Amino acid sequence: MTTTTQMNSHANDHRRRRRMGVIIRHVIINAFMLVILVPLAWVLLLSVKSIPDAYSGTLWPEVFDFSHYSFVLQKIDTLPRNLFNSVYVTAATVVITTVCAVLAGYALVHLDVPGQKYVVFLLVASLYFPVRVVSLISIFEIQRTLGLINTTSGLILPYVTLNLAISILIMRSIFEQVPHELIDAARIDGCGPWKTLWTVGVPLITNGLVVVIIVNFVTAWGEYLLAATLTNDQAVRTLPVVLAGAHGGMGQWAWPRIAAVYVIAITPGIVAFGFAQKLFFQGLMEGALKA
Amino acid sequence: MARKDEEYLIQKDLYARLQRGQIDRRQFLTRMMGVGLGIAGVSTALAGCAAPTAPSAAPAASSGDAAPAAADAVAERPLTPTFYQWIEDLHPSIPAVNANFPGLNYQIAPVEGFGIERFVAEAKNSESTWDVYVGMTPFVEMTALIEAGVIEPWDDYIPQDVLDDLIPSIREECTVDGKLYSWPFLLDVVGMGWNAEMTEQAGIATIPSTWTEYLEAAKLIQSSGAALYGCTFDSHGWRSLVPYTHSMSPDVYTPEGLFDFTSEPAIAGLKLMKEMMALSHPDILLEGATDGGVNGTPDEVAFAARKVAYYTKYFNAPLRMAANWPDPSKLMMGGLPKFENGAGSTVFWTTGSCLFKHGKNKEKAAEYIKSLTYDMQIWQDSIAGTAVAHPGQLPPYQSIYDGWAASRPDWLPDFVGLITGQLPKARAITNHAFGLTQFQIAKPEWEKYLNGSEPDPMIAMQGAWDAVQAEIAKTKA
Amino acid sequence: MTTLSSSVKPKATPSLRKRLRLDALGNWIFLLPGLFFFFGYMVYPILRVLWMSFTDYRYLSREPAQWVGLQNYVNAFADPLVYDGLSRAAQFTLMFLPGTIILPLLLAVLVDRVEHRTIATIYRVILLIPAVIPGPMVFVLWKWLYNFQIGPINYILVEVLHIFTPQTAPQWLGGTSLTLPAVAIFEVWWGLGYHTMFFLAGLAAIPKELYEAARIDGANEWKLLWHVTIPRLRPILAVLVVLRFGSAMAVIDEYLIFGGFNRASPTYTWTVYMYDLAFKIGDWLQGYAAAIGWIGAFSMMFVVAGLLYIFRPQDG
Repeated sequence: MTTTTQMNSHANDHRRRRRMGVIIRHVIINAFMLVILVPLAWVLLLSVKSIPDAYSGTLWPEVFDFSHYSFVLQKIDTLPRNLFNSVYVTAATVVITTVCAVLAGYALVHLDVPGQKYVVFLLVASLYFPVRVVSLISIFEIQRTLGLINTTSGLILPYVTLNLAISILIMRSIFEQVPHELIDAARIDGCGPWKTLWTVGVPLITNGLVVVIIVNFVTAWGEYLLAATLTNDQAVRTLPVVLAGAHGGMGQWAWPRIAAVYVIAITPGIVAFGFAQKLFFQGLMEGALKA
Repeated sequence: MARKDEEYLIQKDLYARLQRGQIDRRQFLTRMMGVGLGIAGVSTALAGCAAPTAPSAAPAASSGDAAPAAADAVAERPLTPTFYQWIEDLHPSIPAVNANFPGLNYQIAPVEGFGIERFVAEAKNSESTWDVYVGMTPFVEMTALIEAGVIEPWDDYIPQDVLDDLIPSIREECTVDGKLYSWPFLLDVVGMGWNAEMTEQAGIATIPSTWTEYLEAAKLIQSSGAALYGCTFDSHGWRSLVPYTHSMSPDVYTPEGLFDFTSEPAIAGLKLMKEMMALSHPDILLEGATDGGVNGTPDEVAFAARKVAYYTKYFNAPLRMAANWPDPSKLMMGGLPKFENGAGSTVFWTTGSCLFKHGKNKEKAAEYIKSLTYDMQIWQDSIAGTAVAHPGQLPPYQSIYDGWAASRPDWLPDFVGLITGQLPKARAITNHAFGLTQFQIAKPEWEKYLNGSEPDPMIAMQGAWDAVQAEIAKTKA
Repeated sequence: MTTLSSSVKPKATPSLRKRLRLDALGNWIFLLPGLFFFFGYMVYPILRVLWMSFTDYRYLSREPAQWVGLQNYVNAFADPLVYDGLSRAAQFTLMFLPGTIILPLLLAVLVDRVEHRTIATIYRVILLIPAVIPGPMVFVLWKWLYNFQIGPINYILVEVLHIFTPQTAPQWLGGTSLTLPAVAIFEVWWGLGYHTMFFLAGLAAIPKELYEAARIDGANEWKLLWHVTIPRLRPILAVLVVLRFGSAMAVIDEYLIFGGFNRASPTYTWTVYMYDLAFKIGDWLQGYAAAIGWIGAFSMMFVVAGLLYIFRPQDG
């Protein structure tokens, strides 16, 4: 059939191959989606299994038990508070890091800063340095000196540092794409460096901001080691620490109950994220249309 | 894995292309939008909860939080105890005790996954956020806490009648250089638990009292098909090797306080483990899933999943796992079996309270701990179980057992009597800076015999001993 | 954006440059907020660790630390656990790195072609779900899935597919030879969507006309991938490879959770050894632990330098 010289059939053949390609593509993508979702669906199922069923190993339970959710909500009565702490710490970390990164990135590219080469070198070197474990003691000492132990807000300071270097480097490369001429032009027009940044720089770097925000969100949202070490009051702690406490071996926590905590803990993030995603896409599309 | 982030070069790539003239500025900017569109995802979650970024609005990071200002160690602070999380989880009536101490600043200790680091760091600054820590196990961390100057003895604060009421072996466990550094609270003893549903099905009517009987019963379980596996143990030394060794003889510690792996009783214990493994689940030697591998171990899963009949561990473990059975009352418990010619001892440890040297309210702390440890509701809940927990941990005081012997409460199960019979013979692991870690360091060595890579148990145990000595030499170097 | 095209001007005049230089020191104020955090919480701790590595600092000891010069380094180079630890970390990296680069790359190439807007959005949302799950919860999840006796993976292998018996079923976690591959698998799962997003961002920047042109020239999909897509993603690939190498070599939480402190376990890497020494064993030999940390860091930077050389920018 492919040997035919008729143009028409050739086009048909091409179209059919294309369609097959689309189908195969969606099959493969959906296989990946399943790989991501099936483990989470299994947790959802686990959270409504009766306890003996959960320990029998079979996939589908004989008896459902929906009481695990009320059990964990009563047992961890600080859960909403911990969720709030996580949101608060994450939001503050993201905001502060982003501001630091924008200022530094702007300065490193568009301002004349003596010694900026060394600053960049240090930032890059720090990316490859595994400092986490042993620096913990130092960080503890610093926090203690500052009186920030056992405060939710105190976590923000070390958290900002977790991704600061990479955030500055991201912003630096973003600002490199903002033409020098543009910045210089604004300054010839009499804008100071701050005004230039605010009126000309910031509007041009929105997608860089998005990247920096994501990077910091993911790290701060899931951070465990610092949070476990630097806080001790249940009401002060972030969600991951409280969750880790619940699954610690000695506690009276059967698998389905931990699964219920699991579902409660990750659902708000996913839902909020789903909604916000839509808004964000809309905003972008509107903006894109105007352009 | 800490996610370092890489995407900045995405933009770099775009820029390079811009410079090479492959795209013009307009395309460049449009594509930048595309980049934002592509990674838009997570950031938008934040858009819902964070204020828009404005350089002038960067909040001061240390703005006061609603947290209790525990760090401000002022003289007038209330009594501030801190508990290991699991103690609160397992003993739900602790809040009732706390209610008798108005103003008490009850806290959970920042120790999970990280041990005593916070306490030591504070002591180095001659301060302490807390007054008393409930959760110290003598052979695990007491030596370190004393060495680092974190804790001080209770002797000036504990009433004499309480001191005299401690079971002698427990008092010995908690004493260093004649001073009581741990006020014991919860007693764990290693004993035997079994699933009566399976033993009934296999037609086993007697309780094994020797290891020979134990292994035979376990074989019968498997051959009768009552369960997939006959018996199991927790491969961590202090939960299996040491109690088995003690059941032969508890006199296996060197003068400096280390476990003598090469002693005859220890070899006997190791051989017993290998015999048990033939009747057990293949993953028995693997590390557990929580708390640095020491909890959530394979034996717990096997017992909870009703795949094994016989189990030796501290009683809390079978009780906790049997709570997941359809009928938890099928759990039976008794003392640890012994070797025919053995001493019939076992291992116990207590979890107790230590007094922070730089803490405050020391008299008040003693008053609180006394009230806590003599609280009869806690003991009833611990031994008989409640809707939320069944720890099976026992009191450290002779007078409580005497009271139960004099008039037995209707909630008191039989196993308590069986254990208290063995308790006078039981021995704690000797306190030492390497009290716990010697078993973690040596485990791969003795397991060479268990997994078959070394046929001679003596050579394997010599390796265990050498490994510990090598580590100690590093400290002394 | 409309202002952009009109405001591109020739290079600023020298006199303007000169005037700006006067502000140079004042410009440092832009860097101060970031550098405050960077030095306070990163540089200072690193330098402190460096200092510690030249002392016999023992955390639990009340004796002051003594300067011992290079003794810790001499000891470490004679310590077989250091070599084992580095080699185990390297093995994990080799298992983890290809999967965490190649799979997201392929997935991104596929998702990038989805034109239906709603479906594309759904894919992107799903891809990022694992990224919003806190680390400890990811570990709990896979601890369940991999459970030898009652986990769903072995249940399917034994009870459904009958590939194994309860005796021969794979022992995934807990310090077996399968533990590192098992950890690598779920790490790839965790980062799958996240990394896909990076590649998607890079792909969005590749002009579609390039593909059309290549197709008209008769290139098939594989050729497109190999000759058009991958060369253009090279910078992203470079950063991903280098940074993922760094994080893979320095993994610790997962090892502590899934392998414990068993020294025979493949999860007992140099990071776990360092942690063990610094916080668990004896007097907490943090001086020695710090030296091991620096040895590990140097070994890593050595490889990183090599990788950066391999991925050095090539024009043309």
